[in-house]
Amino acid sequence: MIKTVNLQKKYTTDEVETTALVNVNLHVKQGEFLAIMGPSGCGKSTLLNIIGLLDNPSGGEFYFLEQEISKFSERQRANLRKEYLGFVFQSFNLIDELTVYENVELPLIYLNVGSAERKQRVEQVLEQMQIAHRRNHFPQQLSGGQQQRVAISRAVVSKPKLLLADEPTGNLDSAHGQEVMQLLSTLNEQGTTIVMVTHSPTDADYAHRIVNLFDGQIISENVKELATL
Amino acid sequence: MLKNYFLVAVRTLRRHLGYTTLNVVGLALGITCSLLLFLVIQHELSFDTFHSKADRIYRINVDKVTQHGPSYSAGTPYPMLATIKASLPELTPATHIFNLDEGTITVLSTNDKVAPQRFREENNILFIEPEFFDLFDFETGNVNAKQAIAAPNSLLLTSTIAEKYFPGQNPEGRMLRLNNEVNLKVTGVIPDAPANTDLPFIMLVNYENSKKINLFSNDTWNSTSSNHQVYFALAPSASVQQSEDRLNKITSELRRLSPGEKERYTFQALSKVHFDDRYSNFGDRTISTTTLWAMALVGLFLVLVASINFVNLATAQALRRAKEVGMRKVLGANKTQLMVQFLCETGLITLVAVLLSVVLAELLLPFLNKLLDLQITFSILNSPAALLFLLAELLTVTFFAGFYPALVLSGFQPISALKSKVATARTAGISLRQALVVVQFTICQVLIICTIIVHNQMEYFRSASLGFDKEAIVTIPFPSGQAKKLMALRPQLEAHSAVKNVTFAFAAPSSNSNFSMSFRFDDYSINHNFNLNFKVADEHFVETFGIDLLAGRIYEKSDTMREFLVNETFLRNVGITNPEEALGKKLLVNGGNSEGPIVGVVKDFHVGSLRNKIEPVVISTWSSLYFTVNAKIEQKDATAALAHLKKIWTSAYPDDVFYYEFLDDTLARFYEDEQRQAHLFKIFSFIAILIGCLGLYGLVSFMVTQRTKEVGVRKVLGASSGSILVLFSKDFAKLVLVAFVLAVPVSYYFMNKWLQDFTYRIDISYWVFFVAGALTLLIALTTVSVQALRAAFSNPVIALKTE
Ligand SMILES: Nc1ncnc2c1ncn2[C@@H]1O[C@H](COP(=O)(O)OP(=O)(O)OP(=O)(O)O)[C@@H](O)[C@H]1O
Ligand SMILES: [Mg+2]
Repeated sequence: MIKTVNLQKKYTTDEVETTALVNVNLHVKQGEFLAIMGPSGCGKSTLLNIIGLLDNPSGGEFYFLEQEISKFSERQRANLRKEYLGFVFQSFNLIDELTVYENVELPLIYLNVGSAERKQRVEQVLEQMQIAHRRNHFPQQLSGGQQQRVAISRAVVSKPKLLLADEPTGNLDSAHGQEVMQLLSTLNEQGTTIVMVTHSPTDADYAHRIVNLFDGQIISENVKELATL
Repeated sequence: MLKNYFLVAVRTLRRHLGYTTLNVVGLALGITCSLLLFLVIQHELSFDTFHSKADRIYRINVDKVTQHGPSYSAGTPYPMLATIKASLPELTPATHIFNLDEGTITVLSTNDKVAPQRFREENNILFIEPEFFDLFDFETGNVNAKQAIAAPNSLLLTSTIAEKYFPGQNPEGRMLRLNNEVNLKVTGVIPDAPANTDLPFIMLVNYENSKKINLFSNDTWNSTSSNHQVYFALAPSASVQQSEDRLNKITSELRRLSPGEKERYTFQALSKVHFDDRYSNFGDRTISTTTLWAMALVGLFLVLVASINFVNLATAQALRRAKEVGMRKVLGANKTQLMVQFLCETGLITLVAVLLSVVLAELLLPFLNKLLDLQITFSILNSPAALLFLLAELLTVTFFAGFYPALVLSGFQPISALKSKVATARTAGISLRQALVVVQFTICQVLIICTIIVHNQMEYFRSASLGFDKEAIVTIPFPSGQAKKLMALRPQLEAHSAVKNVTFAFAAPSSNSNFSMSFRFDDYSINHNFNLNFKVADEHFVETFGIDLLAGRIYEKSDTMREFLVNETFLRNVGITNPEEALGKKLLVNGGNSEGPIVGVVKDFHVGSLRNKIEPVVISTWSSLYFTVNAKIEQKDATAALAHLKKIWTSAYPDDVFYYEFLDDTLARFYEDEQRQAHLFKIFSFIAILIGCLGLYGLVSFMVTQRTKEVGVRKVLGASSGSILVLFSKDFAKLVLVAFVLAVPVSYYFMNKWLQDFTYRIDISYWVFFVAGALTLLIALTTVSVQALRAAFSNPVIALKTE
């Protein structure tokens, strides 16, 4: 599904040049649950943002669904994004002016899904995430765990092929964190490919494979025993 | 999608109510003003456009070239129409119109027991040919007006006047007496003349009757009055130039022009009559296209200032929307979609402002009408033009106010927006914001400077020395041709202690009615190619008005012209430097019928408004041309004096209505239009400043919030409240200064041009600019301080904790 060849990312701000990724070669297969780990500042988010088509690499090749897309325009990337990708962030990033229902509905609006189908799909996902009873609440009226469930609802309502999560449990206590991980795990079992950045070994345990980054390079990969799956 | 935009917009706006209110109020004020100005401009442009032949109707004007400059008049000789009918068939339909701008109407009663009722009318009574109705399309209700006006003594009343004279009765067939001269029969009642015509009337009378009313009416080509004008429609196939040439050729024999005198009849399109102030019209008001442009510009300025507020507040607060923008982009929204969203939001604010301004405009229109002496009606549903204007304004304001903020917001990179790291995107925004604030300050200062200069010129009009005394002089007209009756009562008029001086005259020294004549001077060998302004008055004129006599004496009492007084300008024009030298020299006037010596020289005085130069003046007696009695009275006994004058006057003219006006009021009317413009300027400058302040207030309150932490740190480090105030004020003071530098040349240029209209005018002095600059600075800094003080006096500990 995703393949990177010698992927590089440099940030140039004024006179300072930061190399965030150095020759990253990564392969993610359909249906996989991948965790990316590493110390702060090692380039995890940068890698995730490139995989998520939120950013362009500065060098190397990047294949998404067998297409080389490192030179795509912002508009082309936006179209791929809304079609195939879902995002979950550490800080939820719900839109404060919209209710739970409206937040979850938003991706479908951008996908031009008809209103009847939209209603049905939003309701279904809210039920699945057990947040339907709060559908008319605004984000500030919810707990962190609830907000993250809304964010996940929003990420999966468009039935993305790939779900990207950047420290999804980072702002949650451990009980709520486990709840969220359970949800992601279930989604993966239902066929969604997941790439997740995390600091927590407990969370990483849910993944099939862990990639360790250090200073912008992949230093090790460990694939779990099939038995533990 | 739109529903989602709408929801977010409404909720965002409601959440930030202060910010929304500032924007809506500012925009609504700006749009209201622009709408009102639009209505005024629309009204002015609509004058006489409702006639079906409007595009080929013309008026005949007279353009003269003399050695002292050109002169323009819309008054045409009395035989003009007959000549047109005989020789210029392409000028049809055609009518001459005689305008009587004041008259006494006696409503004759149907039985002897009821005394006749009298009314003094100061609105136009027009004397017309039946063809008037072929030419113009005034509403006539169900009256066949052309037929109804055909009989020699017929009269059409407008409905308001009909109701005034004959409340609840049928006026048809009733008799009226005009100026105690002619009896007229009411042959129909037609709707009131519309407000947007330069041919306003309260009644229409068959033209024949004007010959009995108008003293000057005769059949020569040498006498004209601006109250006698000719209008016609030019056949579609004819050319203006050719017909004009033919008319001038045909009439050149008849006019008996003196050698060197250049005079040309010109055709003026009806569409120009309302805007060309060289020629007067019966409505007595023209408006220059420059003034209309100035109004349009002011309207534009006000909307611009309000839109700038919007841009500034929106970009300053862009950060607040960053997370939403980022998330929408992550979800696949593209830049265009986001721009549309933010433009919709601006559109919503503008729409609310537009709706509010419709209500405001309807409420304020009566005041504007009163201020400008107009009768504009406005109902949004009945004015498609205004509706279209508002729609256009909605779209342009939305676009101009919304485009830049939308561009900034939609341009955020999704990742940095989510991290609220868009500070870098704002550095460019700051300088643009400063530029916009400079534009606002510039507009405000230009308006303030213009207001002060216009005000000063108005003051100058009021206080300038005219060369004669205008205080406590009352002018009383009496029926034309009947001066003798009152002149016989001079001893009685003067008998009251509060009446100091009395003079019978054509008009006051400075007046709208001027009377000019050609002349021969001295040995008559030189042909002086200029006309004299004749002041016809009795021997008390100079004394009553306190005019200075420089040489010689006042002329003797007489009923005809026997001796003359001349002014300094006259001497200059004929090349005499020493006043004494002029004494005894002969003057031949009145078409060669009157001759006499110059017996005295008076100091120059103004004969009309200060717009015009002082003309060469000759003063002499001619009792059949006395139309007013002017009395210098004791100011503190004015009431008693007036009662006394009224008593004597009424005993002389028992069948007429007494009426008076103080001279300074008459003179003030010369400048009515300017006075109104001055008021308009004042009000709109004030509103512009108000809108600007709203924006500034919003901007500073935002900056204060944003810099709370900085202020906290500074205070912890020992900064005083004063220095915090300086911190915020400094930047704005700089902007006011930059704006000042821009505003000075712009306003100097326009005001200098405006003042050129007046021969007698103020100099633009430096202090005006500095006052305007200082005032703007003061207003700006006060506005800034209100918010900045909040920061200055805040508790640093709390400020730092909130971060
Ligand atoms: N927009 C940017 N401009 C410049 N440098 C950046 C930018 N974003 C990230 N970096 C730099 O790139 C490197 C990698 O950053 P990244 O955010 O990917 O780290 P991370 O592994 O996600 O860290 P954390 O665990 O703290 O989230 C860091 O050194 C960071 O300073
Ligand atoms: Mg990170």
